[in-house]
Amino acid sequence: MSVKTYATAIRDTIAEEMRRDERVFVMGEDIETLGGVFGCTRDLYKEFGTERVRNTPISEAGIVGAGVGAACAGMRPIVELMYMDFTLVAADQILNQAAKTRYVFGGKARIPLVIRGQQGIGRGNAATHSQSLETFFMHVPGLKVACPSTAADAVGLLRTAIRDDNPVMFFEHKALYPVKFETPDDPEYLVPFGKADVKRAGGDVTIVASLLYVGRALEAADELAKQGIEAEVIDPRTLVPLDMDTIVESVKKTGRLVVAHEAHRTAGWGAEVAAQVTESAFRYLDAAPVRLGAKACPLPFNLALETAVVPSVKEIIDAAKAVCYR
Amino acid sequence: MAEWINMPKQGLQMTEGTITQWFAKEGGVVAEGQDLFEMETDKLTISIPAACGGTLLKILRPAGDTVPITKPIAIIGAAEEDIGAMLAKFKADGSPAAEAEADAPSKEPAAHTAYAVPPQGGVSRFATPRAKMAAEQRKIPYGEVPGSGPEGLVIERDVLGYTPAAVARATPLARKVAALEQVELQTVSGTGSHGKITAADVRAAVLRRLPGAAVRGERLVPFTGMRKVVASRMKESLLEMAQANHRITVDMTEAVRLRETLKKADIKVSYNDIVLRCVAAALTEHPMMNASWTGEGILQKEYVNLGMAVAVSDGLLVPVIKDADLLTLQDIALCSAELAAKAKDNRLTPEDYNGGTFTVSNLGMYEIDSFTAIVNPPEAGILAVGKLGRQPVVIGDEIVIRPLMQLCLTYDHRIVDGAPTARFLRRIKELLENPALLL
Repeated sequence: MSVKTYATAIRDTIAEEMRRDERVFVMGEDIETLGGVFGCTRDLYKEFGTERVRNTPISEAGIVGAGVGAACAGMRPIVELMYMDFTLVAADQILNQAAKTRYVFGGKARIPLVIRGQQGIGRGNAATHSQSLETFFMHVPGLKVACPSTAADAVGLLRTAIRDDNPVMFFEHKALYPVKFETPDDPEYLVPFGKADVKRAGGDVTIVASLLYVGRALEAADELAKQGIEAEVIDPRTLVPLDMDTIVESVKKTGRLVVAHEAHRTAGWGAEVAAQVTESAFRYLDAAPVRLGAKACPLPFNLALETAVVPSVKEIIDAAKAVCYR
Repeated sequence: MAEWINMPKQGLQMTEGTITQWFAKEGGVVAEGQDLFEMETDKLTISIPAACGGTLLKILRPAGDTVPITKPIAIIGAAEEDIGAMLAKFKADGSPAAEAEADAPSKEPAAHTAYAVPPQGGVSRFATPRAKMAAEQRKIPYGEVPGSGPEGLVIERDVLGYTPAAVARATPLARKVAALEQVELQTVSGTGSHGKITAADVRAAVLRRLPGAAVRGERLVPFTGMRKVVASRMKESLLEMAQANHRITVDMTEAVRLRETLKKADIKVSYNDIVLRCVAAALTEHPMMNASWTGEGILQKEYVNLGMAVAVSDGLLVPVIKDADLLTLQDIALCSAELAAKAKDNRLTPEDYNGGTFTVSNLGMYEIDSFTAIVNPPEAGILAVGKLGRQPVVIGDEIVIRPLMQLCLTYDHRIVDGAPTARFLRRIKELLENPALLL
């Protein structure tokens, strides 16, 4: 194990996979000599050259489309989008091409493509550079969706994503990049998709959270413990496939569910989790599931307002207490 | 606007009351005038009606608490009304200032939450799926579990913490005996119809636990308000007064004749009523016996309020016949019968037992020949009446059988000396032996 920032862990994993498999290459905006705006490809060009660490024009549809084609042709591209907000520019390539090609060609074409980038709050990047859009890509079949909340998960999930023969949407969080974590050094460290991680065990309330909100949920759990409520914090790690078994088992134990995410609350993935829990474990519920998510408001530029739009640690605490009738 | 419910003052001498039972639950709705709680004072147990209607928002003092008069014991108001300020005030000083409640702060704006947090408490009969499942597994009808969730929602922990009151079927008398003897009805097997527990079953259970029981220990009977007051007044009486007593035997031949005559006329009068009437008359002639010792002097009372000791199930009450000296024998009979009935049913009001000037205590019905009573302060004397029995008496040179009765007068020697007291007692004897003198 070594201590690395979330960003460095991603960079090192890309390098290891490029060393392991020469079909793996990276392309994106300013990723070559600049090393990406957040440093996730820093200095990779020195080892792998600009053929495998390729700068592209500012054309997300073009980059993703090229990635789909390269994957189709047998390569294993990693496409970096500077902001995951720009997936919307490449929406047709992602949702209609990457997601559906294998299906419409009867399985004869495979798209081993990773589309990765950062999203979310923390830098006051305003309405079109701060969104959390992971839910969008859960809705269309054919894509896998990964959301690492720690450097270790980023390493294990990214490696699994690169080695997967299907397109993977890989959502990193800009506020996590500079955070240091214990990170495994094993170049074969893999985190399987569809396997949630119980970040903290507890018997009173289940809190499901991802990305930045795993940390916030754990912070809330510490405070709740002081008040006599033991929260179980579950990070699904991948939203597609989604490990409902772990979540449902937890709710069967606790009887109470709070889902906390940065994505907008309305039709956010928390709604999906809450609905599935209600379907599978209705009789085990001792309170209606509660969803916490960003308010129905574009993410503000002003940092104080940005903070106000997304759920606070206190809101998580209050929600957990409310479902415990405390 | 929520209202304070305070410990009421029932009678001049009441300083505190013990709440024995709340008839309404928190969150329950009460109508004005509906019985709200039961309390015990040093004199009686009484049900107190709600002074105003509304939702019983908070019981500040649970059953068992002894609360000084005028102190708050509960809050009644509109359902969901915010009583935070009142609770804070109660916490701060336990005493509401009427003017302060007029400007209690209005409800604070609810913190913004995206989901609704319904108010707690209430009476709805809903249960969460998990609570229902838990109830099912434990074979408890969830409907009988008190809900602690929003609007009375039954949640899992309500079910887990619920022990169904194994409602033992028992006769009312059995329940009473069980309560007196502190027997858990659940532990008694019933022999009545359909296994109903009878008083005999409870008594058998009591007997079983006495001889041969593994442990024959001691049991602590908690003081009732009445026990405490009897104890303190009796002790006070003996500590403060210089009590002495005189005894005299009365030939009740004429009194018996009088009673028989009235009986024939369908007028019911007891021997005790006749004693009361004679005592009232004698007191008017001996004002020192109708007096109280005070710091300033001896307070003679121009009125005669005659107390009559009445034994009740768990103590002793002394209701008072007001202005007994102005009443006819028949009036006294009516009054004493009514007061005795009220005492036994626990219906006495402070009006009924305050202000006595002299007391008569009669244990004749228990075959007691004679006994010494303790003066009921602040009175100056108490007359103890023994049984009325046929006995041989020397009259002239003959031994004849006469109905005799012994009187024992205990008096406060600070107020009155032996000779005048003897004259007073002899006067009572004279009146009883010659009831015509009462006319």
